[in-house]
Amino acid sequence: MKMASPCDGTLSPTEFKFAAEALMKKWEECKSILHPWIWIPCPKLPFGAPDKAGGYLSLEHIHHFEFKKQQDCIEQKYSEEEVEALDSATLVLSGENETHYYNFHIIYSTSYKVPVLFFRGYHQGGQPLKCDEVEKDLPLYTSKLLEESKWTFITQEEHPYLNCPWFTLHPCGTSEWMRLLLQQRLYSSRPEDLCSHYLVAWFSVVGQVIGLWAPLNLVHCSSSSSSSDTFCSHT
Amino acid sequence: MAESTVLQFSPFQSHVEEGFWKRLSSLKLNTLGLDETPVKITGFYGPCSHAQVSSHLYLLDESLPANLAEESSSSEMVLGNRNRCPIPGTLYNTNTLESFRGLDKQSLIRKEAKKIWEEICSGRVEAACAVLSRFLVISYADLKKWTFHYWFAFPALVLNPSALVSKLQPASEWFNLEEGKSLSEACNEWRKSSLTAAVPFFLVIITADSHVTLRPLKDWETCQRDGHKLLFGFYDPCHLPSNPGWPLRNFLAFICSRCKIEKIQFLCYRERHGLADLTHSLVGEALVSISQEWKNPQFIPEAVGWERNGSKLAPRRIDLATSMDPIRLAMSAADLNLKLMRWRALPSLNLDKLSATKCLLLGAGTLGCQVARMLMAWGIKKITLVDNGRVSMSNPLRQSLYTLEDCLNGGDWKADAAVRSLKSIFPGVEAEGFTFAIPMPGHPVQAKETAGVLEDCRRLQNLISSHDVIFLLTDTRESRWLPTLLCTNANKLAITAALGFDSYVVMRHGAGVSADDKDASFSVCSSGIEGHESRRLGCYFCNDVVAPNDSTSNRTLDQQCTVTRPGLAPIASALAVELMIGILHHPEGMNAPGEMASSISESSSQPLGILPHQIRGSLSQFSQMVLVGSSFNRCTACSNLVVSEYRRRELEFVIQALNHPNYLEDLTGLTELMDKARSFNLDWEEDDETDIETVL
Repeated sequence: MKMASPCDGTLSPTEFKFAAEALMKKWEECKSILHPWIWIPCPKLPFGAPDKAGGYLSLEHIHHFEFKKQQDCIEQKYSEEEVEALDSATLVLSGENETHYYNFHIIYSTSYKVPVLFFRGYHQGGQPLKCDEVEKDLPLYTSKLLEESKWTFITQEEHPYLNCPWFTLHPCGTSEWMRLLLQQRLYSSRPEDLCSHYLVAWFSVVGQVIGLWAPLNLVHCSSSSSSSDTFCSHT
Repeated sequence: MAESTVLQFSPFQSHVEEGFWKRLSSLKLNTLGLDETPVKITGFYGPCSHAQVSSHLYLLDESLPANLAEESSSSEMVLGNRNRCPIPGTLYNTNTLESFRGLDKQSLIRKEAKKIWEEICSGRVEAACAVLSRFLVISYADLKKWTFHYWFAFPALVLNPSALVSKLQPASEWFNLEEGKSLSEACNEWRKSSLTAAVPFFLVIITADSHVTLRPLKDWETCQRDGHKLLFGFYDPCHLPSNPGWPLRNFLAFICSRCKIEKIQFLCYRERHGLADLTHSLVGEALVSISQEWKNPQFIPEAVGWERNGSKLAPRRIDLATSMDPIRLAMSAADLNLKLMRWRALPSLNLDKLSATKCLLLGAGTLGCQVARMLMAWGIKKITLVDNGRVSMSNPLRQSLYTLEDCLNGGDWKADAAVRSLKSIFPGVEAEGFTFAIPMPGHPVQAKETAGVLEDCRRLQNLISSHDVIFLLTDTRESRWLPTLLCTNANKLAITAALGFDSYVVMRHGAGVSADDKDASFSVCSSGIEGHESRRLGCYFCNDVVAPNDSTSNRTLDQQCTVTRPGLAPIASALAVELMIGILHHPEGMNAPGEMASSISESSSQPLGILPHQIRGSLSQFSQMVLVGSSFNRCTACSNLVVSEYRRRELEFVIQALNHPNYLEDLTGLTELMDKARSFNLDWEEDDETDIETVL
């Protein structure tokens, strides 16, 4: 697919879908240690313009290992008489290191005309992570980057489809740095490749900020990006 | 393992997604109400696919029916996929925390265990094996605080005596190479086919020629008869190398009671990258003895399985206020807006200072309503309004906080209606309203009213001292006198906005006066004259040579009602607020000198731009001027003379000024000035008398 406007760093909704498919394919090809991105088709909203992009990319249940014990927030303890006696066949798990679970969605923004990364973290059991807890999970260089760069900062926004707040890397600077990234490729490859390369290039930058290494970047393999279960919200 | 030890199972772990709680909340609000009937839900799990982390039993939003009418039909038909085996469950949702705590946990788990046992005995398990992992959840949803208390139980029928394990090793060690390959293929087929992918229990048949096939549970009799090697396989959520997962417990109960086998070989199926992982999967041999009790048809085995919180027997609690409470959501959205402004355009914006600034608005009319809204938009949290009037029918059109409802039944007090309106726009605002009249010179006080007026003066004093910025937004000149005096005395920032028919003035009053301040001997309109750049800036009255007097009596209706072009109030209000923001960001604050419009060559010293003293505009010309005026040493409101007299006699002085405005003119020497001016014979033509009164 030839990109309509390769020079300004933006994407049209149909280009986004095309680029998403290319990203999914590339990801799988690289036999990554992460499980694949899934395309979630968008449900039809009861009002408003139909979604031209048609859906979004989802990568869920990525583990982030914490090396400290989970804190129990126990309000009321119960005795064994009230509930049940300890059974000899039950293995009692103790002192487990906490794991945080992250879900990532790549959603097309119609106002900025670029992809936006939405992410949300959870404690084991489902309690959502707070902003400062998420910041602690980010790679060390990211907090510095977030302070200094005017192009990357994390905000909390309403997820367009799930109606609850998710963290995002704010998209207002995306078209600027995508333009610079693509300019290099513009002269070295065919224009048709530009569209399929868009999300791959975008992800190579954004993924680093989040600590989700793109498998194409084979220099480092972070221990936090290990395989896990995939739970699709829709089949 | 050389000798048999008790087989220990790793308990199931729950994970509830936010969507589930949201759906439960809306079900409760819309359908269930106070109904505590158990609700059929569906949990989902898949085999472990990670060497270090077990997989969980998930509750998603699809776990609950969207509405209860669908409940009975859809729960059987919830679609699973290879990673989501649907498991039936029951939700007991209570209405109070006490009833949640008071639920009889032992009887609840027994009830679910009974269902499982009956399904084993009746043969239902062979048709729909997922019921072996039936579970229950108790919950209490606090919809005011958006917290959810819950507790899972995964009933496991207790074997008496406990099952022993005589062997447990990785599958790759148990199967030979050929068998291993065949097993992997068979498993991957099973996992790919939509008919079997979500079936978590199966039979593994190994023929003599190392060919492995997977068969559903219902074929167990045939398979036993065929005499081939038989393993009982299941999706194992656990990742541990020496322990199988929880589903095996009920599976063993089924196998020993239904298939009558006491030496059970089992396969804990685990995956990696979506394919069978034989090094991670386990094969073991369990020794079970069928107790006599089980042969009794009335007998129901005991069950254990309440999920532990860490290692303790306690429920869990999830706090979703930040993502579900609309007030929190509104506040974080407002916060985000201001932060974006700071990040993208104005890094020096001091948002903390703004949200800590307390603003007092004297007047809740056309100016007051607009100023209040604009302050909220800038992140100001504390807003106090003072107005002595009621909302009248013509108000909602021009006074943007009021609606028709506020006008009914004689009209609500404006201060109260304004506060209600502000809170409905932004719940995070700390808004307060006071209904009283500001005492005014030229409106004499009757003896019986004196106490009340003194009380009003004191209230005004207290309000001014407890706020940081005071906006003078009333509709008469004389009502601005006392606030101006009090602000000057207390050295508080006062900002005035006043409207004519098609003109406005917005100005910030100069800083408070101290004993040795030298004010100008006359008001100037440009800072260049007399060479004193750092004179104290003037107030609203500094330009006047008459004291404020009664401007409302003996006037025509339109003069009394201060009729103005509607566009003026929004313009003037907006300028007043932006002026305040500029002052708060200026390093000298209130004491900053008044600036004129900067020329193009010199850039403004402040990121927000110049900080004027006065802005005077006209709609008829669509023009605006920025002016600077110094304080007048005979000003009836802010001059040293007046302020020191106030400090000496306080409210006694105020009453005197209210009752006799000439008193102020005498005190400041204006009377003398006027006499001198009149007596001065100018060589003008007779019919050209200069009128030296300036009024706005």
